[in-house]
Amino acid sequence: MLARIANNLFWMGRYVERVEHLARFMNVNYFSSLDAPTKLSRDRQFVLRSISKMAGDPILDDKELIEEHILYNVGLNPDKPYSILQGVKCARENANSSRDLLSSEFYESINKFYHFVMDYPKDYFVNSGLHDFTTHVTDQTSILKGKMRGTLLHDEIYALIKLGINIERATQIARIIKTKYEDAEKTAEVKNKPLKNSFEWTTLLKCTECYDMNRRLYKKTPTQLTALEFLIVNTHCPRSVIYSLNQIHKHVQILDPLKVHEKHSAAFLISKMRCEYRFKTVEEVQDDVKGFINQTLNTLVEIGAKLETEYFYH
Amino acid sequence: MESTSLKHLFSSYERNEKLFDEIFDKDNNVKQVYQKIFELYSGQSIDDFINLNNKSKSSFFNQGITFQVYNDDAKGHEKIFPFDLFPRIIDADEWKTIEQGVLQRSKALNRFIWDLYHNKHIIKAGIVPLELISSSSNYLRQMVNLDPPGGIYNHISGTDLIKHSDGKYYVLEDNIRSPSGVSYVIGNRNALKRALFGVFNHYQIHSVSNYAENLLEILESVKPKGVDVPNCVIMTPGVYNSAYYEHAYLAKTIGIELVEGRDLVVENDFVYMKTITGLERVDVIYRRIDDVFLDPLVFREDSALGVPGLFAAYKKGNVTLVNAPGTGVADDKAIYTFMPEIIKFYLGETPILNNVHTYHCSKPDDLKYVIENIQNLVIKPVDEAGGYGISIGNKLTKAEIEAVKKVVLEQPRKYIAQPIMSLSVHATYIDENKSFEQRHVDLRTFALLGNNKEFVLKGGLTRVALKKGNLIVNSSQGGGSKDTWVLKK
Repeated sequence: MLARIANNLFWMGRYVERVEHLARFMNVNYFSSLDAPTKLSRDRQFVLRSISKMAGDPILDDKELIEEHILYNVGLNPDKPYSILQGVKCARENANSSRDLLSSEFYESINKFYHFVMDYPKDYFVNSGLHDFTTHVTDQTSILKGKMRGTLLHDEIYALIKLGINIERATQIARIIKTKYEDAEKTAEVKNKPLKNSFEWTTLLKCTECYDMNRRLYKKTPTQLTALEFLIVNTHCPRSVIYSLNQIHKHVQILDPLKVHEKHSAAFLISKMRCEYRFKTVEEVQDDVKGFINQTLNTLVEIGAKLETEYFYH
Repeated sequence: MESTSLKHLFSSYERNEKLFDEIFDKDNNVKQVYQKIFELYSGQSIDDFINLNNKSKSSFFNQGITFQVYNDDAKGHEKIFPFDLFPRIIDADEWKTIEQGVLQRSKALNRFIWDLYHNKHIIKAGIVPLELISSSSNYLRQMVNLDPPGGIYNHISGTDLIKHSDGKYYVLEDNIRSPSGVSYVIGNRNALKRALFGVFNHYQIHSVSNYAENLLEILESVKPKGVDVPNCVIMTPGVYNSAYYEHAYLAKTIGIELVEGRDLVVENDFVYMKTITGLERVDVIYRRIDDVFLDPLVFREDSALGVPGLFAAYKKGNVTLVNAPGTGVADDKAIYTFMPEIIKFYLGETPILNNVHTYHCSKPDDLKYVIENIQNLVIKPVDEAGGYGISIGNKLTKAEIEAVKKVVLEQPRKYIAQPIMSLSVHATYIDENKSFEQRHVDLRTFALLGNNKEFVLKGGLTRVALKKGNLIVNSSQGGGSKDTWVLKK
């Protein structure tokens, strides 16, 4: 497998995963805020700032935001590197470069997805197409993952895509937790209510498609503790950070099973991080959630960089 | 809404008597090989047909069988290569001649190139003039006395054929650098199968899907000495190349890596590719980049597409390049005119396919004919490429004819002349008129030559000029293509 192509496959996985989370975050935050219990949670400006921040473009001043602009930037603006459109474009470009290794079925899906996003009418999107567009994006990413699983050989090609997907997923979940944690802090501050019972925990779970299963497991309205426990350390939840780490651990070994014994290799770092997570309790995390999440994000960046030097640049 | 039958569409089909129609004979009857398909199509309504046509378009689009077009806004737009749902049908006997003919040409060209880079017998025999070779920018002195593995230069040839108004096939040109288009042959077949699966039951058609496996066998047959199982790769200029779809398609169907120059490195005159587990040796490179870009140390210094040291590795016999560098010397216009002699000289055979007759103005008899018949001829300078300096007799005014006469008489050695060829026409669906109309077609064939192995794809790319009266079938000029059926006996 060519090193350059490995890089393409890895980043294709990352972009596919990235746009899925961004689209869902936009959708859930926008629509669930419409009937949120607190005034701040319902506030358009508050929601738009949260969306922009999640996309990677935090708004630092107090200026009045124009809804159409923010939605356009995050959804379809070709000049914003973080937009969904750019993400899909990058995913498809990476697929183009590795097209000979992918199944026609998978390629056709990603190609159709690309054309759907590129051709989506901008005016319709910012005025009334938000729900249609974002749900289509999340549906398409699911189809893509189904085609990956169902039509590709589960060899190193698949492992590289899965590595990209899971590193990105762990990263995006961590970023969503961080963004919603900060939102929860703000709403708690305004209402002078305890942080642990904020409405934002429900939104957080919905943003990650974990709300229903969380209710099933804990049988009560989500709290800070149950939401974080579910999303960080629950090994059965496919969106949790630990679940992604397990996947990363599994797939990096397909590339080279012996690398794990090499000090400071990507496989070594992943195993180490995974061990730390396995024996972490949510109670230990809760006093410094942001610190913990930042540390998680930094380690993921480090692992990504290691993978690049070990496999992508020979 | 009442549907009109397809036959009805054909009732407005205007036949130009002077042109050779592939479907209708002189008396306006449907030719025998087309009868069944014509009948089957007649059962469909126009609306059904329009629907099918749109579906086949979106099928190409979704599969990403597209090429990029750049407009003023500098953003690339994807376009599909227009595809016509009415296939071209070639019966077994007609095909036999084509197949034998293109193979004969490929073999003769291979012997010719070998000779040019070795003893130059054909020049010594006075058949091909030395100036023609020495002045050719495609003649690579670096190839002199170099023996390519298996003795093969033009592993892959794409010969373009036309059918003239006399109903005979003529060769328009031989492409032996890196001819493209084979992926469209297969793409067209798939698209037609999806759209008109019912039609296929009524014909015994040769499959075109065996191209990839035959290509792999050809590549493996020319492996460097001492290699057991060769590692073959396809080398592409990259995703922005207009034929990238084809490169990726071939790599996928053959099951070999698709590399770019930056993936390869030469160490101690061996070629390696950079993989996730380190360097891996490469033995055979089917390269889809031009000679001049192969190796910046030997050819163009500014080539970012090539691999430094690649030619040295080739020279040592450690890697095979397919097609060999320097084949271009044999596929230019001037050489084309000598093809009948070249075939006779090396193979001792009579050419199976016709060459378009060429008048060399350097010969007094030919010159006389040319001067008297300019209005019926195409006058071409021998040393210009890319269509420069060509005069088409029937498009010239009287004054222009006189001017051409003057120029030719001044320097007769510089000019050749050929009759104006008429390409045959085939019924083609024209979107804007919602009807079938006559359009000119040609045929690109694909022949493979290896070490003790040869193969001709039983099918080809029928290219069609979509503009009325246009003879230029290239996709850049708005040309489209048709599926081409070669019938079994």
